[in-house]
Amino acid sequence: MSLLNIHNISKSYRQGEIEVNALSEINLTFEKGEFAALVGPSGSGKTTLLNLIGGLDTPTSGEIHLNEINLSSLDEQTLSQFRLFQIGFIFQAYNLVPVLSALENVELIMVLQNRHLSERRERAEHYLKLVGLQDLIHRRPSALSGGQQQRVAVARALAAGPGLVLADEPTANLDTENASALLDIMYNLSKEEDTTFIFSTHDVRVMDRAERIIKLEDGYIKTDTISTISSIMNSDQNC
Amino acid sequence: MSKKIVSDNSLDEKTLVAKAISRHQLPKTTSLPLSTFIMLAWRNLWRHRRRTIITLLSIALGFGLAVFSIGLQDSGHNNMVRNAINMGDGHITLQHKDFLASPANYRFIDDGKKTLNKLSNTHINGVIAPRITLQVLASTANNSVGIRLQGIDPNTDPLRPLLEKNMIEGHWITTNEKRGLVIGAGMAKKLKVKIGSKIILIAGKKGGETESHLGRVRGIFKSGILELDSYLIMSSLDFTRKFLVAEGADINKEPLTRIAIFLNNEDDIKPVKQTLVKLFSTDDAETEETPSNLAVLDWQDMMPQLVQYIVVDDVSAYIMQIFILLVILFGIINTVLMSILERTREFGLLRALGLKRQYLVLLVFIETLLLSFMAVACGWFVGGSIHWYVAANGIDFSGMIPEGTTFAGTFMDPVIYSELSYSRVIQLTTIVFFTTLISGVYPAIKASRIQPIEALKT
Repeated sequence: MSLLNIHNISKSYRQGEIEVNALSEINLTFEKGEFAALVGPSGSGKTTLLNLIGGLDTPTSGEIHLNEINLSSLDEQTLSQFRLFQIGFIFQAYNLVPVLSALENVELIMVLQNRHLSERRERAEHYLKLVGLQDLIHRRPSALSGGQQQRVAVARALAAGPGLVLADEPTANLDTENASALLDIMYNLSKEEDTTFIFSTHDVRVMDRAERIIKLEDGYIKTDTISTISSIMNSDQNC
Repeated sequence: MSKKIVSDNSLDEKTLVAKAISRHQLPKTTSLPLSTFIMLAWRNLWRHRRRTIITLLSIALGFGLAVFSIGLQDSGHNNMVRNAINMGDGHITLQHKDFLASPANYRFIDDGKKTLNKLSNTHINGVIAPRITLQVLASTANNSVGIRLQGIDPNTDPLRPLLEKNMIEGHWITTNEKRGLVIGAGMAKKLKVKIGSKIILIAGKKGGETESHLGRVRGIFKSGILELDSYLIMSSLDFTRKFLVAEGADINKEPLTRIAIFLNNEDDIKPVKQTLVKLFSTDDAETEETPSNLAVLDWQDMMPQLVQYIVVDDVSAYIMQIFILLVILFGIINTVLMSILERTREFGLLRALGLKRQYLVLLVFIETLLLSFMAVACGWFVGGSIHWYVAANGIDFSGMIPEGTTFAGTFMDPVIYSELSYSRVIQLTTIVFFTTLISGVYPAIKASRIQPIEALKT
């Protein structure tokens, strides 16, 4: 049973007088534990697809089934609830709550999930330790570096126990060392916990680590390969 | 690469979703994490410490101003009412039922003695003052003026301590002096009399005839109150009662025109009035007064013009308070709204993570609620401090209020001490609290409309 089925979805929106087709006839399936990257130039529809998968936006046509549930059929409340338990988000700009410490940021979603204090404290500390921040758990985001903040964001996404993590340019603001360390952590977790990661990225470092690379161009899937970065580059040269 | 989704067509979409949600153990509802929200709201409030402090200060100053002005105004009103009661006819007055609408000397309480006996049996906590108040003409060789002749018990009437201390010539009325009069300095000037001078007091009778008696000035007082100094002549009950006897009253029944009741506790006005209304609502052979000719009136019934004055004055104060509250309202709206607009992205994130719309509203509501609590606390700290200072030291308005100035038939002491009743404290607290809370409604609505996808782009 696939974790995620994207069936013939399209997304268009109006920009003034012009109708823009952000995505056209996208069909994709993701299995549990996949480590996949959506790549392509700016405006190719990567982030739009990520938003649709995350239930933050609705497709103009087509259906997205996550764990067999059609996201379009859920009302706003249920969709919020669904995101809370099923989907983790990692953003380029970290998006941590500035008035909460690293530990509290990681605990926040679990608070909304009604997890018991001892359980959420244990999980939060566990994931913060996994991302190497066990000594900085009481620091607020303003007292952490960019790389450290993104690690907190990764811990936050994973501690909630989602089956799917959507990461929008998670390494864009990180130096090579931090990006590499973070990718290692995410890759290992995807294998250890059977969590599916889908990245939207321009970053070669992510592409290099991804097991599957889906290339988007002008809203269409150009290639969908289980490959390495070299094969992507070759396919580009063949175009 | 992509698989066609196979669905069970025998079940509708909702059932399928319900089954799937159940399979994945997705809770249908989550309970409110209130403590986390309160903590988050509290920290959000102090995210911009300076802004929050300035907002609280502006509320506190506005509130302090409101407390100050209301405290002074209430004190002024209470002062006027107390003076009107003390210089007038008490908290509760018994008199002929038609006297208020149409004052005439023949509208008196026929059996004053027994009415007083009946009153004394009710064990009222206060002073009962029998009085005879008449409209008469005071005449001397030099002038004649219309005056109010007030017959009192010179030993026990509450007017004695108020006027006796203001005697500038002569002495207070004594029971030995059957014709003794005490008059105001203004009246003495009008009639051109001095201690020992004679004054003829002439009263019109019901049939059109007149009744006149001679009095002699024994004392002159100067209270600084125009209404007392220029229009009042005091005498003993025995002297004044002669005019009632001329109207046909039985002197043995000790007729009176009114009985003034001065209560020790103002809160007793309503219950005492109710008791007296009940007491005098049935025909009573003992007093021979019938329900039709005796009225039990409180000071508000007796002085409708003063009540009206206070109402009008209160309206002007309320208008000022509305302006103060508007300043508070917009101050808070500004603070909370700015705090929300600058957190659009953060709210978008919380929504994206799965925070329900109503929880976001709740978060803003709690922030406003906390701000309200602090606003009320700061407001009372500033307002209360001002009130306590002015209540203890007073403000001297003698430079602004000329001597003898009266308002609606009464007067105000030149030094005003702030007064706030318990109900006023509750009222002010409630108004500021709810004004602050209401000011959070628009920002909360604004927060609830944040779309995560749009917010995360900001």
